[in-house]
Amino acid sequence: MMLSFFSDLFAYEFMLRALAAGIVLGVLAPLIGSIVVVRRLSFIADTLGHFSLVGISASLFLSTLGISLLFEEPLFLGLIFSVVGGLLIELFRRSYKNYKEISMVIVISLGTALSAIFFSKARATGSIYTYLFGSILTVNNYYMYAILITALLVGLLFIFFGRQIIAVSFDETSAKFLGINVNIFQIIFMVMLSIVVSVMLESAGVLLISSMMIIPVAAGMKVGWSFRSTLAIAIFFSEMSVFFGLWMAYSLKIPSGAAIVSVNIVILLVVTLIKRIVQKSQIAKMNKEKS
Amino acid sequence: MQIDIHNLSFAYGHRSVINNLSLSLNPGDYMVVKGKNGTGKTTLIKCLLGINPVKAGMIFYNHQDITNFNKWPQFGYVSQKFEDFNYEYPITVNELLAVYSLKPTNQNHRLKMLDQLGILEIVNENINNLSGGQLQRVFIARAMLNNPEILILDEPTASIDKLNTEYFYRTVNELHAQGITIILITHNDSLEHLNYSHVLSMYQDMTYSFQSREKCDPAEVELL
Repeated sequence: MMLSFFSDLFAYEFMLRALAAGIVLGVLAPLIGSIVVVRRLSFIADTLGHFSLVGISASLFLSTLGISLLFEEPLFLGLIFSVVGGLLIELFRRSYKNYKEISMVIVISLGTALSAIFFSKARATGSIYTYLFGSILTVNNYYMYAILITALLVGLLFIFFGRQIIAVSFDETSAKFLGINVNIFQIIFMVMLSIVVSVMLESAGVLLISSMMIIPVAAGMKVGWSFRSTLAIAIFFSEMSVFFGLWMAYSLKIPSGAAIVSVNIVILLVVTLIKRIVQKSQIAKMNKEKS
Repeated sequence: MQIDIHNLSFAYGHRSVINNLSLSLNPGDYMVVKGKNGTGKTTLIKCLLGINPVKAGMIFYNHQDITNFNKWPQFGYVSQKFEDFNYEYPITVNELLAVYSLKPTNQNHRLKMLDQLGILEIVNENINNLSGGQLQRVFIARAMLNNPEILILDEPTASIDKLNTEYFYRTVNELHAQGITIILITHNDSLEHLNYSHVLSMYQDMTYSFQSREKCDPAEVELL
């Protein structure tokens, strides 16, 4: 089964495109996911995904009305709504300072309600399934460009401001003493995250975006000994899950987002189990040495 | 750094915490803030750091109003506990200090700072594995890393043992000798070995006494 997957991988352009998209997202998702985890906002990608679905459903609704947009791809309206959702979260976060999760519940509810209304009035709703659960095998050139541009933007942001991003994420109060305008930085990060979420929408699916961002990082945290090592390990796990997820999706004809996330969960469980066994054996060894 | 506080008042909602506090510090002064729990010591620090927005009264740094002040890198701050800080995500001491350094490539400076505080051996340790005392000294190193003009310390020795507390206050005295302005909140520590120049005593009825060292009664201050 694996051999036929490999031969098909290089025989079909759509397969190669899916792999290329997966490899880029495999780096991008844990890179931005690690910052989301440090800021304790793991639920945020889910929220933004739901809000970008408003853009996609609105796109489908508008095409039902015969209104054509500047860009035909629903992805672009999804991107705009994702950014709006991110800014709304930031806005609500400021009025509920000690209850950060409230802002996300408000935005996720609004997003889901609006999406349901637009979908109910749209005619061509066949692609809902793709947007909910992801289909990396159907990505087109437009989507590929969107991923590459986003990766470039995020890469540049981390190269030039990575230290500041980490400083604000770990400790907002102390980041101020580096001369960082924390509020502006939070908005820039939120916009960046919203863009990443919207470009991940087609491959990972609304319901699984956050898992693709967070779970490799959660597994990396179990074995990482520093910020760098945790990130490197998370990227490695993420790439593994993309590759094996793609293989599963192709072979078993299941949604790619679901397959990738399933592999991620398996990796997390295996890492947790191995860590527990190693810790127990270390404690036993120490007790033996003591006695 | 010259610090002027004029008629500062602060309330959390309807609960007034600071009422009409005024004082002035000259560059290089060392002020100890004493007072029982709930007298507004930490609230005052949060106002000085711009964390609590000043709505009644004024704070000036070098004659510049705090609302327009932006030279925060001149500040070093150590709290008894950083409420926002993520203590669980893996990051080494060296990585953490590099992130909060204005000169991240200057590793020698970081090592020197850790050595001064007696924690050089934990430079590559994950912060998750540190004791409360070690972590507090890492935060002290972080506050001193960018050669601040003013150091604000809010019960910095709360989780450090007696020996390291003395060691820490010696370091603070050395920094003061170099001309750094110090504001120190202390609850339990003896003032005996501190080279402070002023004492601000904060009382539960929101009255204050701000005195130079020569004018205050050390025994009375110790009792606060």
